[in-house]
Amino acid sequence: MSIILAIDTSTSRTSVALVADGKVLFTKFHDDALAHGEVLPKLVKEALAVNKDIDLVAVGMGPGPFTGLRVGIAFAQSFALGLNINWVGVCSLDAMAASIDETEFIVSTDARRKERFWASYKDGKRVSDPAVSKASELEKLGVPIFNEGDYFPDPASLASLAVNIKSVEQPIYIRKPDAYPLPAGVKFRAMTALDLVLAAAIEKEVYGKAAWSSAQFKEEFAKAPKDAYYLAAEAQGELIAYAGIFYVADVADIHTITVVEKYRRKGVGRELLKRLIDWARVKKADAIMLEMRLGNDAARPLYEQNGFVEVSKRENYYGPGLTAVVMRKELK
Amino acid sequence: MALVLGIETSCDETAVGIVNDRKLLANVISSSVEQHVRFGGVVPEVASRAHLEAMQQVIKQALNDASVTLKDIDAIAVTAGPGLIGALLVGVSSASGLALALDKPLYGVNHLSAHIAVDRLDNDAIMQPSIALLVSGGHSSILQVNNLATDVIVKGTTIDDAAGEAFDKIARIMGLGFPGGPVIDKAASSGNKDAILFPRGLTQSADLEAHRYDFSFSGLKTAVSRYLQQTPNYLKADVAASFQEAVVDVLISKSIAVCKDSGIDNLVIAGGVAANSRLRELAKQRCEVAKIALRIPPAGLCTDNGAMVAALGSLAINEGVKPSQAGISADSAASIAQVIW
Repeated sequence: MSIILAIDTSTSRTSVALVADGKVLFTKFHDDALAHGEVLPKLVKEALAVNKDIDLVAVGMGPGPFTGLRVGIAFAQSFALGLNINWVGVCSLDAMAASIDETEFIVSTDARRKERFWASYKDGKRVSDPAVSKASELEKLGVPIFNEGDYFPDPASLASLAVNIKSVEQPIYIRKPDAYPLPAGVKFRAMTALDLVLAAAIEKEVYGKAAWSSAQFKEEFAKAPKDAYYLAAEAQGELIAYAGIFYVADVADIHTITVVEKYRRKGVGRELLKRLIDWARVKKADAIMLEMRLGNDAARPLYEQNGFVEVSKRENYYGPGLTAVVMRKELK
Repeated sequence: MALVLGIETSCDETAVGIVNDRKLLANVISSSVEQHVRFGGVVPEVASRAHLEAMQQVIKQALNDASVTLKDIDAIAVTAGPGLIGALLVGVSSASGLALALDKPLYGVNHLSAHIAVDRLDNDAIMQPSIALLVSGGHSSILQVNNLATDVIVKGTTIDDAAGEAFDKIARIMGLGFPGGPVIDKAASSGNKDAILFPRGLTQSADLEAHRYDFSFSGLKTAVSRYLQQTPNYLKADVAASFQEAVVDVLISKSIAVCKDSGIDNLVIAGGVAANSRLRELAKQRCEVAKIALRIPPAGLCTDNGAMVAALGSLAINEGVKPSQAGISADSAASIAQVIW
């Protein structure tokens, strides 16, 4: 008799099964998207009380939210090492699809950020690599979709798949880590009065009539320095971007993030925004707010990635017919 | 006598150490620091992926170095906090898997206490009670250690940045690279530490009343960046040496003050910043004058490692502390008060 310990932590469910030659000796799960680390050892301990002569470990390799996914994989690999037995990695979506009786369908799990991890199946076989997409795009494919919640990767299926397939050796992350290299050759420093003339020129170039004048900048600078923070970025000794934030009554307000045309889409704005958010956190602000002009919202995805959500629109804010979109990010 | 395997993954080092009671047998470290340089700081998801990738190999290497097998291991210890949560979970889950497979006790331990515990390895005398200065990238505290496993009192801590953070930030502003500790130490070696008098945070008499043993490095950071802006042709070596002196001076003065006030003439300096050569040198000079017994672990054991985790696990066993229950809860913000989970 060969006993397989099967583990999956790729969804909000942590599940464990003990399977001997197709017969399920133990199976149990717990639903909590944030507790894989605490739950998994307890479930395995219960399984070991049933039978501890494990011959093989089968583990779901995802796709799934990274932190929880790694709990199962790290545990499985070390458990196998401890017993000096093999482990086999299985695509978790396959273990979810195994119990679905349809000729053509899609299984999908929660990838957060309003997206789904998914793969499509036909005649009992997976016909696409695991991928991540918006739910609306999946619906366009016109085949039945089986979602996490109604279905989960089944550990007993995982165990039987493990016997017949080539092991998936690496976690199926699909997404890259949310990290961006610092823009090369760009230096960030505090903005000083010496930058004001150049900044006013950039303002005019970027915003036209809505630009701040050098005098308005000076006025902003004259405010209590503890409650405002201005940053400059330079490349080859030239000012290429600046950003400012101030803090009034529990909320920090981003006054500007401006990058000259030539240096846009190179991560300069992202780094400036990150530093403004860090500053607001240090100030213990409850939230950060910013306004941007409707229609001039190329930076909107950047703000959304950083947790800003639209809270209102202000008409005629930038002048007649020019609407401001107000966004807010909670820090508490 | 117990053979303990310790796992550390709280930041960017995947590390496994093996100790036999207080004897160091293996200390293997796989660092992902190279992958973080281009980001100017540790990226949690990048670090967590690297931990999972390195873990099995690091465990095997440590067993090999110690010339033992997993069957010989009496207990597993693992850092359960504080640290990056995604990174901690890789270590905790690996340790749980090993402990259950081997049917051996598991100790979730505090990363900060472990930094201090490493001092006990290969040392004949244990200094206890002692005052401990704990300085790293994420922490700067002075602790009164009555019993490392059960009774640690926080005497002072930083009110803003950690000392290691200040090193990172100043190195970044000066374009010296990441991580800041080693690059500033190196740049400072050819500089004049008295060239610029940078402020010593929380040492004025008014501050001393409320923050006698606390640290503040944000004012120093501002002073250095202002100096750099106002001095176009500044000498990097002099700025690095003067900045480093300002940090080290305060760290040591306040630690010695705690020793004097508490009547405990033992000082242990631990944590990544304890690898700084000027800190080690000045601490030695001042402790000699003040007649304080000083111990600083070898530089290689000051930065994050698995041996320190194993050392604390071994200490817990010797103190009769109960092992952790299955399913320990990693805590990214764990306080020094929680030594064993």
